[in-house]
Amino acid sequence: MDVDPSKILVRYNVAKEKAQTPEEMAAEMYPSTEPAKTICAAIFDGEEDDVIEGLEKAIEGGADAVKLIDDVLMVGMKIVTDLYDQGVIFLPNVMMSADAMLEGIEYCKEQGGAAPKPKGKVVCHVAEGDVHDIGKSIVAALLRAAGYEVVDLGRDVPVDEVIAAVKKESPMMLTGTALMTTTMYAFKEVNDRLLESGIKVPFQCGGGAVNQDFVTQYELGVYGEEAADAPKMADAILSGKGLAQLKEQFHKH
Amino acid sequence: MVKRYTSLAYKNADDMIFGKSVYPVKAELGLEVGAGYVTGEVNYAPRPEAGVSKEKLVSEYRRLTTDIMARAVQVGFPGISLETEHVEQMTNNPDWGGEVAHVQKTIMEEYHEEYGIKTALRHTPGDIRENRDLLALIGAKYDTLMESFEAVADAGADFLSIETMGGKEILDYAILRNDIPGLVYAIGCLGSIDMTMIWEDIRKIADKKGRIAAGDTDCSQANTAMFIAGGLLDKNLAHTIAIIARAISAPRTLAGYEAGAQGPGKDCGYENTIVKAITGCPIAQEGKTSTCAHSDVMGNLVMQCCDLWSNESVEYHGEFGGTSVQCWSESLNYDAAMLNVATETGNAKMLRDILVLSDKYRDPQGYVLAYDNAYSVAEAIAKDGDDLYLRAKNAAIACCDILNAADKKKLVMSKFETNALNDAKAALDAMTDEADTFMSDSMEKYKAEVAVFRPDDNYKF
Repeated sequence: MDVDPSKILVRYNVAKEKAQTPEEMAAEMYPSTEPAKTICAAIFDGEEDDVIEGLEKAIEGGADAVKLIDDVLMVGMKIVTDLYDQGVIFLPNVMMSADAMLEGIEYCKEQGGAAPKPKGKVVCHVAEGDVHDIGKSIVAALLRAAGYEVVDLGRDVPVDEVIAAVKKESPMMLTGTALMTTTMYAFKEVNDRLLESGIKVPFQCGGGAVNQDFVTQYELGVYGEEAADAPKMADAILSGKGLAQLKEQFHKH
Repeated sequence: MVKRYTSLAYKNADDMIFGKSVYPVKAELGLEVGAGYVTGEVNYAPRPEAGVSKEKLVSEYRRLTTDIMARAVQVGFPGISLETEHVEQMTNNPDWGGEVAHVQKTIMEEYHEEYGIKTALRHTPGDIRENRDLLALIGAKYDTLMESFEAVADAGADFLSIETMGGKEILDYAILRNDIPGLVYAIGCLGSIDMTMIWEDIRKIADKKGRIAAGDTDCSQANTAMFIAGGLLDKNLAHTIAIIARAISAPRTLAGYEAGAQGPGKDCGYENTIVKAITGCPIAQEGKTSTCAHSDVMGNLVMQCCDLWSNESVEYHGEFGGTSVQCWSESLNYDAAMLNVATETGNAKMLRDILVLSDKYRDPQGYVLAYDNAYSVAEAIAKDGDDLYLRAKNAAIACCDILNAADKKKLVMSKFETNALNDAKAALDAMTDEADTFMSDSMEKYKAEVAVFRPDDNYKF
């Protein structure tokens, strides 16, 4: 027994797939000048060695190592994240590109002896009692790829430690992920303790069992349905949006 | 040394059917699994605030168990299975889990005595073998985990299960980098090594207490891949990579049976049809009636060979139709009734094939897991069943070959999926046939690349 599936299902993703390949679309976005073009292509391909080689050549040619971070590496990474946002490339491509870019940044910092100012600082953690951290790792990677400094507290982070880190780092945003319904309750405690201390930092919460209904129960919470919402939320904060506006933008249900 | 499977329990794929397995198992209160009929297996999670004390948790499980049993007799279901997946407090404090199992089993006994309803209770302690920063598969947490199994078995849990995490530290790294050899190493090798260790010990406890060592699932790895892959429009992982991870998970789950598990396999093991082809042991599955817990793209297909039919998990709370566990147990058992009518009227294979065809071409995952293709993956695993590495690699290659041989007008894949598949196949073709070489190369590579990898501590290398 077999069936013609065209009558019973639709592969919308195939129907909507772009005619151009991701490589062709990326190539149109690369800077026209060298060495930026080659380095951006190496970032897109996730080829760490090629990124370093390109940077070496650029520095030998007289380029300022620290300026290369903003002028080339971040430009290359933005091409990758833009294509991800457009649904042209997938998350593993972003992760591999981010690995290559971060290695490039470390190289430039070593060569230049300094680092450019990040766009902002974000503290990331997994809820106390929860060791499921792949979501947090994705959030951290996407934030770094977007030019933010990430203070990664890891997984199963006690509430005390989250509060201490926020007081010490004064981040523009705090993120919390949890897979389990029983552990996500720690987010409420984090919220309450931050408010007790007079700290009103946006607290982006997401992950497996976390839903918008739960997050709206505490004042600082902003629900992030996708990991990719994290850099968008940070960008929104940079653009001056407050808690109410963030909730307006990111609460979809 | 455990004996590895090198042949299949079924002579033909077409012999595989829902409700029937080669080696059924029977629970204390009369429920047989795989003996010719399908039964609903209800899963649930306590409300978050119930976790604050042992008393509140026990009370929560008392209520929800009573709710489920009451609904089952109200609607006239011949049997029902309950699965309690532990919240961490119940495993870290073995007496908590034991008390919950005791309370649940007592209620189930009362209903069994009063109405004759056949029931079974599965307890699934959480895999607590982690420290804050690292997996800790061997050591004090392992001992606590075994105490938890002892406690729930003592208290009446019929089926003992777990969702183990061996290899996950590598999987989390590899899956986000399309690293196919990494998937083989994480799931097929490290996962199987851990499974072999833990399931030998679970079987010993089951035998000592007169319970059934049921089965495991590669939830922590293959389901991670499936959930990251998500729906058809999601852009986080190619579904072709997700199904390769799933194929590799079958020999890992199989390792549990080789070490003593007897079924029913765990519901969220979407690899279970492949595993059933090899072991002949009964399996639980979840799909269209687990949408309360998660979405998949093969909700009907995955019923094809189930022996228990599960809802995965639902938080205990009120709905218009009763409490959530009552609503979902009712849906599960109506599904089971439909399957059982098909069996009773001689239409089981017809219904199985309808279920399969409703999803087979929806995406690459359902295509490979359709019982005919799943059977081919099983054959590839058994061919080198004695070699944990080769059989995992075989499963991945078989998965790629099945997809490449598919009718492209029916199984339509995006360019992205096709490219990811081609890259994966090329990576597999470049892999060695020598297990020792692969293991030593992988050890060196991942020790350098994955900071949290502790092979000596976790896998006794």
